[in-house]
Amino acid sequence: MEDPERNKQAQQMIDYVVREVIRRPGVEITEHSPLVSSGLIDSLALVNILLQLEDVTQMRIPAVKVQPKDMDTVALMLATAQRVGKPRK
Amino acid sequence: MNKYPTLIDALFSAPPERPFVTVCNDDDDCETVSFGDFTRLAKLQAADFDNHGLRAGDRIILVMPQGILLMASFAGAMLLGAAPAILAYPNFKVDPSKYTSGLAGVSQNLQARLVVVDEDFPSEFSQHLTMRKDATLVRTARPSAGSSDVPLLNYCHSRDGLAFIQHSAGTTGLQKGVALSHAAVLTQLDHLATALRISDQDRIYSWLPLYHDMGLIACFMLPLVHHLPIVMQSPLEWVVRPGRMLQLISDYRCTLAWLPNFAFQFVARRMTRPEDRGHYDLAALRALINCSEPVRAQSMDEFLAAYESYGARPEALKSSYAMAENVFAVTQSEISTAARRIWVDAKELLEKQVATPALKNADGSFCFVSSGQCLPGNKVRIVSGDGQDLPDHSIGEIIIQSDSLFDGYYNQPDLSAAVIKDGWYWTGDLGFQVDGELYVIGRKKDLIIVAGKNIYPQDIEDIVCRHPAIHDGRAVAFGLYNEDRGTEDIIVAAELEQWQEINRAVEIELGLRNLIAAELDVTPRAIFLKPPTWIVKSTAGKPARSTTREK
Repeated sequence: MEDPERNKQAQQMIDYVVREVIRRPGVEITEHSPLVSSGLIDSLALVNILLQLEDVTQMRIPAVKVQPKDMDTVALMLATAQRVGKPRK
Repeated sequence: MNKYPTLIDALFSAPPERPFVTVCNDDDDCETVSFGDFTRLAKLQAADFDNHGLRAGDRIILVMPQGILLMASFAGAMLLGAAPAILAYPNFKVDPSKYTSGLAGVSQNLQARLVVVDEDFPSEFSQHLTMRKDATLVRTARPSAGSSDVPLLNYCHSRDGLAFIQHSAGTTGLQKGVALSHAAVLTQLDHLATALRISDQDRIYSWLPLYHDMGLIACFMLPLVHHLPIVMQSPLEWVVRPGRMLQLISDYRCTLAWLPNFAFQFVARRMTRPEDRGHYDLAALRALINCSEPVRAQSMDEFLAAYESYGARPEALKSSYAMAENVFAVTQSEISTAARRIWVDAKELLEKQVATPALKNADGSFCFVSSGQCLPGNKVRIVSGDGQDLPDHSIGEIIIQSDSLFDGYYNQPDLSAAVIKDGWYWTGDLGFQVDGELYVIGRKKDLIIVAGKNIYPQDIEDIVCRHPAIHDGRAVAFGLYNEDRGTEDIIVAAELEQWQEINRAVEIELGLRNLIAAELDVTPRAIFLKPPTWIVKSTAGKPARSTTREK
């Protein structure tokens, strides 16, 4: 089922990753594009992406519960936030 | 002679009700175990390992998230007389291929009887463990609170027996294992406790990984032996939420903490989110010890400028020179005052390799922070390339000898023979001494020689990082041999604080060139301005010059 809020969050994450992390003209991604495993972004950039994911979802995500495969696509990131995130105080 | 024959005797002597480990990985998720609870958990883990066939003299690899279960498993293995080794647990920001090659190499060298991972350890990583034929992979979980009585086992540990294996940090290739006896660890901890004037009023804060000597020795073995409480968070949580460190130090009134140099700057600069700014009270902190990479005045000054108003005291900023090969610390700065500083003439330093004193903050001078004086039982010499002792102020290789020094890397005799000569360990670090104080400059192999002039990459990196457009101490300088000139060129790579600043690249690069030329009288051949997170860091969080150079 379509979830407009979730789709909005996905678009916000895509925009952030393209604008702030990939930073190469002409590169487009979807929420299912592999990011780290494809070499598109460096895994070290994931700290900032995790912070952005917290801001977009309004969740607090315990970093220790997140593995590389949980952050490889925008869709996986949002699923990870749902799985391990807690509402922000 | 140590108060306890072994680390286990020290643990068993702790008052059972005294708080030991508090782990905080979330705002509302802090857990504390007492020494009694911890010891019981260690015995349960020992019984589990015994059931899986672990015996005295075996090695056991622990790959588990930072926390109470990992620490109790470590102690449990020692109870059985087996030697545990902690390896890094994977996290979302590791490069999976680098991680698995490290895991394969280190597990191959250790030839462990048991490899213990937690229930969530990703199976795509466990297949890269190199296991001997009779080895077992065990997935362990925390026994429930009401679990059965602790079975009686024949605990086996002796003073001169192997206690555990810790690894020296590495960026490329195989990390080197350092096997340590109970006696060596206890001897080091006695000296450290004397230098730090440890009392039962102390409480340690740490985010340091337990697979690194600073985390394992200073923040786990020291509190275990001296029965001190320790408040911990994971390295990953710290990177994501550095403000939490200051909040925990404030809330728990922590008195001691160790940090690598870069962390002083990181914490001062990275407090960008509202949740990272709290009501801190750092007044209880009596020693915040800068350790594990060359100590930089600028980094400590930035920390103090940011947090003096929150109670951080200038005299609490200390320094130490430590390494896994010596169990931990070789030197420690005085406990009653701030770490000493010296200003030296830059020209004399670069051209003659002599640290000639200059006036404080004089033009053309460098400031060095002392790593302190030798701990009891430790000796330092500064020697030339051919092993001749050098006088005070002269720069040479730091070699050490001590009553807690290792006797070789585990299963790596060739590597050991290259660094241990006549009972002295050649550290590969450059430094100088003045009046018994040791000043560490950096790694010998990183030295850049430009037309006979010695350039220390840290000095260039320091200058570059002072530029406001450059990010958090994330700059590296290295030499690249130039065949036409017959000497090395200086190459600098530095990350921009904001990538949009790349529009000002020409201006920033010119600014950096002016700064470097003014202070060091050399010109880099190339300066590469890079986006955030471009520079490669080592397992210990230090910028890795050789790997960045390859990149």
